[in-house]
Amino acid sequence: MKKIVITVLLGTALLAGVFVATKTSEPAPLRAARVLPVANPVAEFSLLDQFGENITSDVFRGQWDLVFFGFTHCPDICPMTLQTLSSAINTLAQNGATELPRIVLVSVDPERDTPDILRRYVEHFGDNNLGITGALTDIRSFASATGIFFEKTPENNGNYSVDHSAAVLAINPDGEFAALFGAPHVVANYVHDLPLLMKR
Amino acid sequence: MRRICLAVAVLCCTFVLSACNREPLPPLVARNVAITMPLPGRQMSAGYLSLTNNTDVDVNITAVTSDAFRDVQIHESTLTNGIARMRKIDSLLLPANSTVVLEGGGKHLMLMNPKARPNEAPPTHVSLTFLDGEETLLSVDASVATNVSTENP
Repeated sequence: MKKIVITVLLGTALLAGVFVATKTSEPAPLRAARVLPVANPVAEFSLLDQFGENITSDVFRGQWDLVFFGFTHCPDICPMTLQTLSSAINTLAQNGATELPRIVLVSVDPERDTPDILRRYVEHFGDNNLGITGALTDIRSFASATGIFFEKTPENNGNYSVDHSAAVLAINPDGEFAALFGAPHVVANYVHDLPLLMKR
Repeated sequence: MRRICLAVAVLCCTFVLSACNREPLPPLVARNVAITMPLPGRQMSAGYLSLTNNTDVDVNITAVTSDAFRDVQIHESTLTNGIARMRKIDSLLLPANSTVVLEGGGKHLMLMNPKARPNEAPPTHVSLTFLDGEETLLSVDASVATNVSTENP
C-alpha cells in the first residue's frame, strides 16, 4: 500500500513538472500581432529611399521593421497609423527597451510621393525612419508579394485618393516577413506585443 | 405652520422662475475640436470635432470654410476587410437632437491649401464656418493641436 501511494505521488509530481515546463516554454500570448507560421524572406525589389538612393530588399536586414503602405496625401488614417507606431516606439524606449523597431512607409502613391516629400514626411514621425518610393510597377510587385492591396481612386475635381491595405507588417532582422498587425492600430497592443515578437 | 407654507411657496416660485429664465440651448454646438496643420511638405491635414444638433429638425452641413485654409471638405474614411478608403462627402447630416462625431478613421474635415505662406509661422488658431448652402449654421474658433489622438485604425 505504501509503495502504491509513493508511486502515485511521484507520478503526479512528474506530470505536474511536465505541465509546468510545457507552459513556461510556450511563448506568451500576443494581443494583436499575427505571427506567420513560417517567416518568409521579403521578395527582391529595387526601389528608392527618401534620399533618392537605390535600395533593395537588403534594406530590411539588421533591424526589426514595421512596414506600412500609405501615402502622404492621406490626412487621416496614414498619419495616425504612423503616429501610433511612433508613440509605441517612444513608450518602449521610455520603458528601457534597447532594441527598437524602425518605421517604414512604402508609398502607394509614387506619382506624388517623391523622395524629398517622403523624407520630410517620415522625419516627422521620428529619427531613422525609412521612406520607400519608386516606379509604380516595382512598388506594386513588392506590395503584391507581401499581400498588400492598393488602388488609385479618382475624385471629381481631378484629384485622386488611394485605397490601400491598412495592415502593418513586421519584418525581422533577417529580412523576413514575420508577423502582421491588422487595423485598428492601438499603441498599447504594440507596446505589449513588440518586445515578445522581437524576442522570438 | 403659516411660516412653513410661506417658505415652501417662496421656494417653489424660485424654482419656477429659474426654469423660465434658463438660457435656451444653442441650435448647433461644436465640442472637442482638434485641428492639425499640414505635416512638412504637405498641403492638407485633418480636423476632428463633435457636432451637436439641439434642435428638433435635421440639419445638413453642405460646406465648411476656414480663415486658415483655402479649401475645406468633409471626408469619410472607412476600413472594410482590412482595406482603408477615403471618400468625399457632399453633405453631412446632423439628425435632430443628436451628436455626430468627426474622428480619426471615420468622418473628418480635410483641410487643404493653407493660406499661410511657407515662410510664415503657422496659425495657432483656426476658425471654421459650417454652412447649409449660403446659410451660416455655426462658427467655431479652435486652437491648433500638435498631434491628435493616436487611437485609430
